[in-house]
Amino acid sequence: MQLSITREVLLKPLQQIIGAVERRQTMPALSNLLIRGGDQNLSITATDLEVELVASLDMEIEDHGATTIPARKLLDICRSLPDQAKIAINSSNEKIKVSSGRSRFTLATLPADDFPTIDDLELDQNVLIKEGEFKALIEKTAFAMAQQDVRYYLNGLLLELDAGQIRTVATDGHRLALSQLDHKSDIEGSRQIILPRKGVQELLRLLSNEENEITVSIGKNHLRVNLANLQFTSKLIDGRFPEYQRVLPEESDNRAKIDKVSLKQALARASILSNEKYKGIRLILDNNIMVIQAHNPEHEEAEDEIEIEYTGERLEVGFNVVYLLDVLNAIESDKVEVIIQDANSSALIVSPESQASRYVVMPMRL
Amino acid sequence: MQDIIHIDMDAFYAAVEQRDFPQYRNKPVVVGGDPDKRGVVATCSYEARKFGIHSAMPCARAMRLCPNAIFVRPRFELYRQISQQIRDVMFSYTDLVEPLSLDEAYLDVTQCKRSFGSPTLVAKAIKNDIKQVTGLTASAGISYNKFLAKIASDLDKPDGLTLITEKQGSEFVKQLSIGKFHGIGPATESKMQDLGIYTGADLLAWNLEELKSIFGKVSDYYYHAARGLDHRKVVSHRQRKSIGSEKTYNEDVGDIKEMLLRLENLAEEVWQDLSGKHMTARTVTVKVKFDNFVQVTRAVTLANDISKLGDITASLQDLLYKADVEGRRVRLLGVSVSKLTLLEQVDEEQLSLL
Repeated sequence: MQLSITREVLLKPLQQIIGAVERRQTMPALSNLLIRGGDQNLSITATDLEVELVASLDMEIEDHGATTIPARKLLDICRSLPDQAKIAINSSNEKIKVSSGRSRFTLATLPADDFPTIDDLELDQNVLIKEGEFKALIEKTAFAMAQQDVRYYLNGLLLELDAGQIRTVATDGHRLALSQLDHKSDIEGSRQIILPRKGVQELLRLLSNEENEITVSIGKNHLRVNLANLQFTSKLIDGRFPEYQRVLPEESDNRAKIDKVSLKQALARASILSNEKYKGIRLILDNNIMVIQAHNPEHEEAEDEIEIEYTGERLEVGFNVVYLLDVLNAIESDKVEVIIQDANSSALIVSPESQASRYVVMPMRL
Repeated sequence: MQDIIHIDMDAFYAAVEQRDFPQYRNKPVVVGGDPDKRGVVATCSYEARKFGIHSAMPCARAMRLCPNAIFVRPRFELYRQISQQIRDVMFSYTDLVEPLSLDEAYLDVTQCKRSFGSPTLVAKAIKNDIKQVTGLTASAGISYNKFLAKIASDLDKPDGLTLITEKQGSEFVKQLSIGKFHGIGPATESKMQDLGIYTGADLLAWNLEELKSIFGKVSDYYYHAARGLDHRKVVSHRQRKSIGSEKTYNEDVGDIKEMLLRLENLAEEVWQDLSGKHMTARTVTVKVKFDNFVQVTRAVTLANDISKLGDITASLQDLLYKADVEGRRVRLLGVSVSKLTLLEQVDEEQLSLL
């Protein structure tokens, strides 16, 4: 196989798919990219057996064929070549040559047949959705996913679809994020899948805020997203996601409307006194005032006060300040509404303009 | 000069079983794992030792050596309770009690709570009390340091009482074979024998620098031990240095993903133990024993204290690869954490949503 390509044309897809290549693998082939040349098309595949990313480029190729090439080395070579450099790639049996101007590299290759591809793909449902809307759905909730929790089904994002809505839900057991979008489809009943954390992160890197429609295909064990020049496929987590509806708090009269930026700044100031282990802050809500207090094991103290719209009963509640800041970063409106029952029940945080995204944070006992 | 007593219960687990089941008395009793699986001998009675059975031997082998032996599974909860009774006895004599395990402890009786006139008489009284309270016998070694007290307790087992005086100390060590030194196991023993060191007297001929060039920092201990000296103090409330969990599998494991999964399960146990003790750690160690019984450990010290299970599990894959498990089969896997520190009791608690 022989091909010639401009540095920038190759670099962008390489950067998009490199995330699927793990630095340590169980199989040597997984540190390589699969390169396949057809008539007018070049495809480059990266996989870690869980997530598979395929980039395709329209181009002329002499000698059809397939081979594999060390992923990080190819990327580093492309990165270090000068702008607009012409790169020639030549593969013979056991070696692959990459050259540009006076730079020449001979890289080891592995047979294309040894490269694992995701099989038993049984995609049975296609959903058309605007790329930007899909991205927003994921972005608004992904931060609340658990990380290496023994409850493996929490280490991912729940995607729930029915005929009228698409929802994403993430929770780590202490807080929960839920976002929904009205979207008509031909789905019967409701369908739940859990996309693993790594897949969520890679997908977010690939999605843009474009208005164009993309196809999301769902199967029993896989999810595939087809983008303009990229195909994303991920295995799904085989597990039951908790019944998230049960943890959404009940209505309460203790509702505070707060300017988001002021709250964020005050929390950021108070969190100066928190550390890795000690992230608790105390919120005191009383008669249009919110007092934010923080203290740490060294007996240092911080106190901040902001004006809010609040006429409910006096409340004193502790929270992990990181959880609150995560929520404020995910909400877009200028104001946020915080609805709290008492110091031992979960709090609901929403935008006053729309309840499409809802955030639940469990308090800390301080 | 200190007065140190080393108390060592005689065939502790087996003696407890013989105490509770009269039909076991005067018979070879082996306390340990399942001989049909891969259990090992924890303790065996003196009757069983005559057949060549000793602790840490695979039970299956013990069974071949003595088919008539009575094999019983350990009752650790009970042993712990009895061990506590024994410690209570010891603490009534001195506050300086350093337990080494359930059945062994050092006591510093230089400042004894009750006056007996000599440390030998104190040891005798402790042995009597232990017998009264538990019905079990112990052997006691009395000397002027830990090293010699421990050796002394082993000289006249069971139900022994041996004193090594200051005068006898250095002479005694000279005739002692090198493998009997506490802390010198079979590996170091054969290394020393290669150097022509068979007894304490041989060791005495080496100076500290020579030893250090071969054995590193433990040389101090060897050098002084050869002279009958040991400056280690009896430390009560010995701090734990590591928390770990390991498992020998019924069948060897050859698949790396499977090994990783099992390590993750062990890590979960370690994490629960660690967090339950309100402690945190810095170093994660993976232990692998291959099917040829060769054992390796690989450790990593993290940049930050472990604050969640993921901090432990994140290192496992790397460590497993460093242990060179690819293409090999393992019979045992273990995970432990060390560099422990006690977490400051933080009185904040994150409430759970689910």
